[in-house]
Amino acid sequence: MQAGLMNTYQQPMSSRLWPAWVLSALLFAAYVLLYFGPLPALGLRFDLLQRVAEVAGQALGLPVVLHSKWILYGTVYTLAMIAGGAFVLRRHGNSRYQRVRTVTVVAVQVLFAFMLPIVLQVFGRKEYYFSYFWPLKIEYFYPSVILEQPFLIVFWSFAGSLVAFPLLAYFLGKRFYCSWVCGCGGLANTAGEPFRHLSSKSARAWSIEKVSIHTVLFLALVATAIVWINWAVGRAHPDFARFAFQVQDWYGFAIGAMFAGVLGVGLYPLMGTRVWCRFGCPMAALLGLVQKLGRFRITVKKDMCISCGNCSTYCEMGIDVRAYAMANQSFTRASCVGCGMCAHVCPRGVLKLENKPLRWKAGQPIRVYAVDL
Amino acid sequence: MHYAILGNGVAGIEAALGLRARDSEARITLVSAEHEHFFSRPALMYVFAGQTTLRDTEPYDRGLYDRMRFERRSGRVASLDAPGHALVFDDGSRLGYDKLLLAVGSKGRCAPWPDAEGEGLHYFVTLRDLEALDRAARKGMRAAVVGGGLIGVEVAEILHDRGLHVTFVIREGWYFPAALDANESALVAEHMRDHGIDVRTGATVDRVVRADDGRIRALRLAGGVELAADLVVSSIGVEPSTGFLAGGALKLAANGAVETDDALRTSVPDVWAAGDCANVTWVDASRRPEQLWYTARDQGRAAARSMLGDEIAYHRGTWYNSAKFFDLEWTTAGHVPATVGPDGSAVAPLPGYRTWFQRVPGRFESQRIVVKGDRVVGFNMLGSRWNHEPFLEWIHERRSLEWVLKHLAQAQFDEELSPGFRIHAGASVS
Repeated sequence: MQAGLMNTYQQPMSSRLWPAWVLSALLFAAYVLLYFGPLPALGLRFDLLQRVAEVAGQALGLPVVLHSKWILYGTVYTLAMIAGGAFVLRRHGNSRYQRVRTVTVVAVQVLFAFMLPIVLQVFGRKEYYFSYFWPLKIEYFYPSVILEQPFLIVFWSFAGSLVAFPLLAYFLGKRFYCSWVCGCGGLANTAGEPFRHLSSKSARAWSIEKVSIHTVLFLALVATAIVWINWAVGRAHPDFARFAFQVQDWYGFAIGAMFAGVLGVGLYPLMGTRVWCRFGCPMAALLGLVQKLGRFRITVKKDMCISCGNCSTYCEMGIDVRAYAMANQSFTRASCVGCGMCAHVCPRGVLKLENKPLRWKAGQPIRVYAVDL
Repeated sequence: MHYAILGNGVAGIEAALGLRARDSEARITLVSAEHEHFFSRPALMYVFAGQTTLRDTEPYDRGLYDRMRFERRSGRVASLDAPGHALVFDDGSRLGYDKLLLAVGSKGRCAPWPDAEGEGLHYFVTLRDLEALDRAARKGMRAAVVGGGLIGVEVAEILHDRGLHVTFVIREGWYFPAALDANESALVAEHMRDHGIDVRTGATVDRVVRADDGRIRALRLAGGVELAADLVVSSIGVEPSTGFLAGGALKLAANGAVETDDALRTSVPDVWAAGDCANVTWVDASRRPEQLWYTARDQGRAAARSMLGDEIAYHRGTWYNSAKFFDLEWTTAGHVPATVGPDGSAVAPLPGYRTWFQRVPGRFESQRIVVKGDRVVGFNMLGSRWNHEPFLEWIHERRSLEWVLKHLAQAQFDEELSPGFRIHAGASVS
């Protein structure tokens, strides 16, 4: 079902040549400015992006509450996803799975991660991103943040993270979130599309990934626990309260800003689009564990693989899909976000994403039939 | 024990892995003039198109040769000294062996037309072919691709993708008559024309026309029509790369392939052959090479067992295959008789055979099921994805057409959310 050919490696931007390095540097700079505002050490004494947001907000006559660099960031992010989504539809729109998925992930971004938070703020409410959940959005389990919200949002956050997500991941795989809803995955699968093949497929990358992503999950759980303990006993133990705030700050800096933002997007042109999703996201780690136990699978059609490598090349999570296809082995990998691109680009239709039980005998080559025809 | 394997393709590497799996001590040497790493030959079109790099098409990581302690020798073999148990390279050096596997594969069949050989004539089988075509093909050029088979359509696609004006010259009355019937071929031709390919069927090449400076100017067809062309790609089939064995002790068939027995042994002691270069017995008892990726792999593995002393008999199971014509995927399984012979003449339908066919309205998609007596014996599916394994099972279970049509959706293998199989009003049995 692949539409024509992609010429990926003929574009210098997609081949780690100098334009890719320039873009990477620009993305790094933008994210550093966004997260860390004024940088006196570099001679920048004011918050550049905030200033831009204010000037733009005034010029456009927006309510003052929207004169924020975070609104500016959300706008640019959403526009990038819309433009990237159009690019993906043009390139892969002949696949209905890709079409529906792309439209969905962009619509979720526009409605739930962009417009609704703005509406809430304009009406004087605290902003809330309905498409983000703990532990990716770790503060949505911090009592100081979530308990400020109306009951329905508190319910949405807890029931989502603790009940709906494990169930959905069990029945559909983590793709229901990572490549259909999540904004991080959404940016990767739209604006990031020209870089998806840059993920490392090496066994070494896989072993690093397993350690790093579960470490971040562990840190997220620990940080959440500390914040809750502090909520319960902090008033009586000011030293612990100070420590809890440090943990919260440190997690926000190291994981939220540096890993998910600066590295996660800054490395798009050099290491592919899912650096954060693959090596860092605690939600991906958690859903991946559920996925391993659940129904989602990539089914391999037997003895039909020509080992061309398109599937592995275009796997943004760096899974060596071809190795499974060559071994006639249907498989579930914790990291697989179910973007479906391996199946889409396979020129022999060997791969199929499924939630259903296997129909044909797994793991063995096709029987050699002695058929008298 | 020293096993030498001539050819670093899929048959060669799978044989080497099979040998190493059972014999951890033996010395195993892979000899290749093409590339020092095993790559996927069917993926060359994606390398040309910039969709993958050559390295992306290497199925195994590069540590494999070290881990498996495979020695590599690059160079072109000039002859086989069978009595002396040695390969002789073109520089005169020799590589001795105790047991040898010939897995030399095939090359493009030589273009037979007057003035064809020379600058501007290309093939698309080996890495050298790819490199030459990559250097020559420039946007805006006119290319004539000759030969209505699987390589031809790939070359037409990648040249068109690069911005060349492609004329696809097919001798037969329709594209790929060995596997497609008139309905299916019309569908593929329509699809290719949709993509901007000038498809000429029933067109026999008379000669290549070269300008005074030797460059290709045109391709002349029988009947006098001249197709302006800057380059010509001959994709009229492949032939075994066994030229270096000619006149030696080892027996070659008339088609150039190495004759083998059921255990893939050649006519000389301690030499086996596998893959595209080996003649094997087909279901219809004919002796031909199986020029397919899957069978080359299976033959390599079978040859390894045979070289290790197992009593084996290589037999291909029921036929299946798949390919892709631009965006159209094709899956076939079982016995789908050709409706046109190799010479282009119509073949009378086999007695007792019926065909169920439908073209899905509004889509480049069709299904054909071949019935012999009261049982289904073959499937030919175009434009959607199918799992051939249930097809083979149903053929084996002697299922009726009614039963198969009722259960056919179970074998559909399209991406989720794709339109499901159903029987349309235009379906017919003939």
